[in-house]
This record gives sequence, structure tokens and C-alpha cells, in this order.
Amino acid sequence: MSFFSEERASELKDLFFESATELLQALNEEGLELEKHPGDPEVVRQVRRTVHTLKGDSAACGYSELSALAHELEDALTPELAKQQGTKVAEVVLNAADIFQHMLNAYRTNSPAPTGDRVLDAIHALISKPGPSLAEPVKSAMKAPPLGFEWTEYEKMVMADAASRGLKVIQLSLTIDPNCVVRAVALQMVKNAFADLGTLLVVVPDEGAAMDKVDHISAALASSFDEEYIAKKCKIPAVISDVKVERYAPPAAEPVSANGTGEIDHTQNEDLLGLDNQLDEAPAAETEVGSASNLISAPESTLRVDAEKIDAVLNLVGELIIGKSMLTQTINEFDKKFTKDPLRAKFADALAYQARVLNDLQKSVMKVRMVPVEQLFRRFPRVVRDVSKACGKEVILEVSGQNTDLDKSILDVLAEPMAHLVRNAIGHGIESPADRIAAGKPKIGTIKLNAFHQGNNVVIEVSDDGRGIDRQKVVTKAIERGIVTQEDAARMTEGEALNLIFHPGLSTAEEITSVSGRGVGMDIVKSVLERLKGTVVIDTKVGVGSTFYLKVPLTLAIIKALMFRVAERLYAVPLSSVLEITRAMETEIHRVDQHEVIKLRDQVLTLVRLNKLVKSKSNQKKIFIVVIAIGDRKFGLVVDKLVGEEELVIKALDDHLVATELVSGASILGDGTVVLILNLNSVVTRLGKSSADIDEQLTAGASA
Amino acid sequence: MEQFAALMRSKDRQPIRYLVVDDSVFARKNVTKMVESFGGNVAGEAGDGCTAITEYDRAIPDIVLMDITMPQMEGIEAAERIIRQHPDARVIMVSSVGYQENIVAALQKGAKHFVQKPVKAEVLYEVIKYVMGEDAVAVEGAAAGDSK
Repeated sequence: MSFFSEERASELKDLFFESATELLQALNEEGLELEKHPGDPEVVRQVRRTVHTLKGDSAACGYSELSALAHELEDALTPELAKQQGTKVAEVVLNAADIFQHMLNAYRTNSPAPTGDRVLDAIHALISKPGPSLAEPVKSAMKAPPLGFEWTEYEKMVMADAASRGLKVIQLSLTIDPNCVVRAVALQMVKNAFADLGTLLVVVPDEGAAMDKVDHISAALASSFDEEYIAKKCKIPAVISDVKVERYAPPAAEPVSANGTGEIDHTQNEDLLGLDNQLDEAPAAETEVGSASNLISAPESTLRVDAEKIDAVLNLVGELIIGKSMLTQTINEFDKKFTKDPLRAKFADALAYQARVLNDLQKSVMKVRMVPVEQLFRRFPRVVRDVSKACGKEVILEVSGQNTDLDKSILDVLAEPMAHLVRNAIGHGIESPADRIAAGKPKIGTIKLNAFHQGNNVVIEVSDDGRGIDRQKVVTKAIERGIVTQEDAARMTEGEALNLIFHPGLSTAEEITSVSGRGVGMDIVKSVLERLKGTVVIDTKVGVGSTFYLKVPLTLAIIKALMFRVAERLYAVPLSSVLEITRAMETEIHRVDQHEVIKLRDQVLTLVRLNKLVKSKSNQKKIFIVVIAIGDRKFGLVVDKLVGEEELVIKALDDHLVATELVSGASILGDGTVVLILNLNSVVTRLGKSSADIDEQLTAGASA
Repeated sequence: MEQFAALMRSKDRQPIRYLVVDDSVFARKNVTKMVESFGGNVAGEAGDGCTAITEYDRAIPDIVLMDITMPQMEGIEAAERIIRQHPDARVIMVSSVGYQENIVAALQKGAKHFVQKPVKAEVLYEVIKYVMGEDAVAVEGAAAGDSK
């Protein structure tokens, strides 16, 4: 980086760390994908691309250890290898991702980078297994011609023939720049240059030759340009270091090479030998379970402003809102006293303007703090993989609701308790494959992560389909440890008894194994949630599984929504669940089993008539269909009129006023209109049934 | 810090305009800083091949610096399409080694040059000078942005 000033270099480095963190996350995800689909060439290519970018970026920053390791990895990653080695490749990729992470952390703190030898060995072990053919050094290095001309009889003939036709024949000898690694590219570039200069008669070596060991290119050209110009054009920067141009004089004395042997590329051979040595050792790579926790705590700083600063701004906005309501009150009093005063209108205008700006201000500050839960969830595939491997269990992770927005600071704090819950779920919840089969469950256990808005809260669910928590066992243990007395225990409700697991004395019980026994007990989960003013609720059934609901508050949640009208009422659905919007004619609708369907690009789409909700019948011939996705199913909502996209601030609908699950919230638009945000899941399931009572519920919602 | 004589277009003595294509934001920024230190202007940036094509049509830059491995559309294909549309386009492929066949293919399809990653400013400067040929002149002491 000597090229840039210090300041610029540090700016670039910041950018590098930021993008490298993202790349590593991607690499982890791709590694897991590769483990799932070993040998999938597309995934391999993706991994390769990520490693490639990481290599390029780190090399540009001068982080040679990282770029060297990335280079080795990239080189080794071929679809063929992935096919031969299967999941071992994924293993190495994930191990490499860990090392990359360690290296990045070291670079960030300017401490010496850890060695990547272990992964390097693993890489070499990987490529060596299919047989030595891959790494076989090419012994027959081509004897490179020196800067002279040595033509075969045929080549001489071609040149002489051209010359005899009155063409000016130029012979060239080009030395390839030792820094130009890809010789084939050099040849192609030289050929391109020749194409601009004249007609190429002969070139040695020609395509197909083993280019790796070539240092020189000899060529003959029929050209009308003078030698000097040709020399200039052929001296391609970074590719050709030396050019010798000579006019061919037919059939005069042929120049004979002065010194016989050319230089063989020693460095490359040495590389190959070194590789051979490493192949002999090649110990198998071990998984490092501990690395999962490192990943959890690694900072991900897409937010480059100190969060405290934003908090301060948000606080001030809150103060302003209080000020606003004070003003409103004062003006109301003023109104009553001076009903005819023309100043009233002016006050009202100023106040309305201020309110609007204030609203925007609050919205934008809130938005700065919001990040999708995905940032949190995406760390878990790796955790699940490592922990389940360590426990000898088979577990898959299902993630949903990752687009739910959550305050960044809450999100960061949730990472540790969630990781603990997931570890616990795998360690204690999910049974071993044999037990599962015996219990009549699928062999592979499932961990589910889900997130959704619930009024002014965000709920994050961590659930497993394992053995569940045995309430009786918990109580017995609690009594054993003197946490509760026998009498207390007898009076306890189900929930109270289960909550005993959050007691610090209990979480360190012996049943906590090496996986979860890392000092972060269930009591930590509880205390973190309390600190966030949230709650944690357990729902468990012995033999079926447990779900932990982490409920964290959110004063405001903002979603991007698509708004539309049905029977003159305004509704919205989260834009994230909208796949597309299409138009259709009423005549294209078919009936299948009580469902209305339409054929959209050869796919059958079930239609949901929202106007059924309000008992009105539209008689439009052309209809709008909003195609939405729920899970992996698609539905088409039939709407009357599309209004547009809007960022909506969700207001909770008080449970006492509106007891319907069809609406997940409401929002007030700039002009005071209330828009109901539909809970798509319930809407679709409800409309499957006959829907007599839905109407009333929704009408109640709209007038609330 | 090394100084480069600013490279200007011969026809109007204006800065050379570049289109920088790379899926890595970091790499784009890095290259951008380099070409700016050569007195050039980055007329457009793209993170994938498709965008690169539309950006070329919009900006009509003098030089395209094109990464090879990218999502959506790889650099080779983007280069090929650009050159098919604009035979005068000067496309320089920028990539690491290991994509030998790809680079050769790009050169065969009309890419002007290849620069190896990590990009060294001195090398890139010479390459641009070479690729621009008669169409660029070096103006001493007019390096944009980097004046002492």
C-alpha cells in the first residue's frame, strides 16, 4: 500500500475489513451449502468466487498470509475435486473460514497473523488424494529459445515465401516479463498486438503448447510498419519485458542461436517440490467447535456510527414530541379563548408543519437503528452444524421471518442468549438419531428460528422437535438443590416450574455437557432478556419439543409495505412477501375444488378474494393480482386498486379493541388515513374456510 | 508517494474516463483511487456484468476495467457484449491468475489487455498508457487530486 498516503490506506483498510467480514459470512454460508450438496458445481463456483474476492482484496491491502491461503484454497477448489472428496471439501472451506476470521482479527489489532498451515495441509491433503496426477510436476520444461531466431525448415519456408511475394517480413523475439504469471495470456496479448500490425506468419510456441514454462515468443510478421513502431507496440507493459525486432532478409544467412540452453523456470519447479513434501505429512483436519463462539462475538459493523450517538438523537426527538403535545394543548386553549383570532390558522399551520417534520425525523432516526434479524440468524447455520457434529446428532436448521426489522443494539445483545438456547436445544433437546427412530420421529432433528412483529414487540422463537423439558425432573432437581421447598414446588403452576430452569443454581447442573457448559447458563438468557425489558416464555411438551419465545420490545417498527384498496378500504401487506403484481381478465379464472385459480406462466396460482372479507362483489372485468409468498407456497390476492409502496410505522392495535388475527397492525399515513396491515398467514388460511365472521372483525379493525 | 504524469485524452485534453467493474466494493475503490491519481475520471461503476453493460451505454467511457469473476454475468461475457456493441471499446480485464482460459478467451474476443490482481499502480499506469496509445498524452505536473 506504499502507493497511497497513510490516510487513504487506513480508509481503504476500513473498507476492507467491512467487506471481508461480509465475505467471510458468505463463505460460511456457502461452506454449509456445500456440505449439504457436496459436489454441486454451482456451489463450488460460488465458494471459489468468494475466496477469490477475498484473496484479491487482502492482497491489495498487503495482507499476504490471508491472500496466500486464500489463493491455495481457490486453486484447490474445483468442481471435480468436490465431486471426488464430497463433504471433506466443505470441512476444509469452513476451517479456512475460521482461520481467515482469526487472521482478520489479528490484522485489525495489528497483532501477528496466526498461521494457516493446518488448513494449508488440509488443502494439500485434499488435492493429493485423487492421485498424484494433479500435482505431478511437469518435468519436460520447454527449452526456451534465447533472444535469437531459430526457425524450423517449414517456418523458414513460410517466411521466404512471404518475402518473395514482396512483403516486408519482420522477425520478432519477445521475452515474457517474469512477473507475468499467465503465459497463455501473454501469448494471446502478443497475438492481438500482431493482429493490429500486420499478418502473422509464424509464431512459436503456438496454441496448445505447454505455455507454463515458456519465456520467449518468436514470431514472424508480414507488416508495413517500420521496426521501431512494431517494437513499441510489442513491448506490452507487464507482459513483455524485452523485444528484439529484425527484418527478415531472404534468403540470406539465417541467424543461428548464439547460446544454446534457455532458462528453465526454476521457481515453479521448486514450488511443486515443496508441495510434494507437504503432501507427505498431510494430517486430517480437525473441526474446531470452539470457533463457533468466536463467530458469534465477531463484530459486524455495517453501522459505522456509534450507536450511542443515535440514541442521543432519538432521545432528543422524544423530548421534541413532548414539546409538540404541549404546544398543541396550549393552542387548543388559545382556540377556546380567542375563537375569532386570525392568528389561530397561522398557529395551526405552523404546528402541522412542525409535526410533519418531527414525524419524519423520528422515522429516519428509527430507521437508522433498524436492521433485519437476518444479520443475527445468519450466524446460526454454522453454530448448529458445529454443535450437532460435536454431539453426534443430526440436526437441520429452519429459519423464517428473517426480514423482520429489529433495533441493532437489541439484535447484538440477543446473539449470545440465542446461541445458548440453540446449543441447549441440540445438546439436550434433540435426541440421538437412535433414540429418535425409537420414538418414531424422523432421524434428523429440526431447530427452528423465527421472528415476527407482535404489536410493539418483536418475538424471536427458538424451537426444537426434541424430547422437551420434563417438568417433574426440573422440580425434583430444584428441590434437591434447595432452590425451592417441597411445599412450594407442590403449589407451583406449570409455567413457574418450567421457569426454574432459569435459576442460576440449576443451570450448572451436571446434565449440562461440554457443549453448553461454557459459563453462560440459562440464567444469562433470562437476565439479558430482562435487561432488554423483554420476556422469555417456554412452551414445551415432553416428547414433542420445546419452543422459547424471546419477546423484546420495539417502540416503533417500520416496514415497507404495498398498499392497495379493496372495496374502498385501504390495506397493506409487507412488501417483502410480495413476489409480483399481475393483471388478469375475470374470464381467465377457473374453479378447482372450491378454489379459484388462475394459470400464471404455466403455474397454477390459488386466488384469494379479499373483497369476500367485506362482502362486496366487484364487477371489474380486469383484475389486479398481488402474488404473495407464504413459506414456499404462492397465493394471488385479488385487489381492486393498487395504491403504492410506503414505509409504514406499525402501531399496535390494542387487543381489547380488535381481537382479530387477520390484521397484524395498523399504520397512520401522512394524511391521517388508517391503513390495516394484513396478517397474510391468517388471511389465507381463513379464506380457505367460508368466511362469515371475518367481515365484522375487519370492519371493527378499520374503525378502531 | 509516487507521482504520475496525468494522462489526458489527446483529442480534447480532457481526463480519461473510466468504467470500473468489480463485484468487490473494496476493489472498485482501490482501482478508482489509482486511476484518479493518473488524472482520470471514473465515469461509472458496476458490481456485475449486466450493470456494466448499461453503464457503458450510459457513460461511454474511454476505458473499462473489468473484473472477471462476478455474479449475474461474468466479466468475460460482459466484455464480449460491450465489444460487440461498441467495437472501439477499450476493455482491460482485471483478475487474478487461475482463470487462464477465461482471460485468453476475453482477449480473443477483443479485450485489449489484462492486468493481474493485486493491481499495482505502476503497472496499471503503463497498461493504460499502452492501451490508449496515440489517443492519450501524458501531461507533466498536472496530476489531478494528488498535488502536494
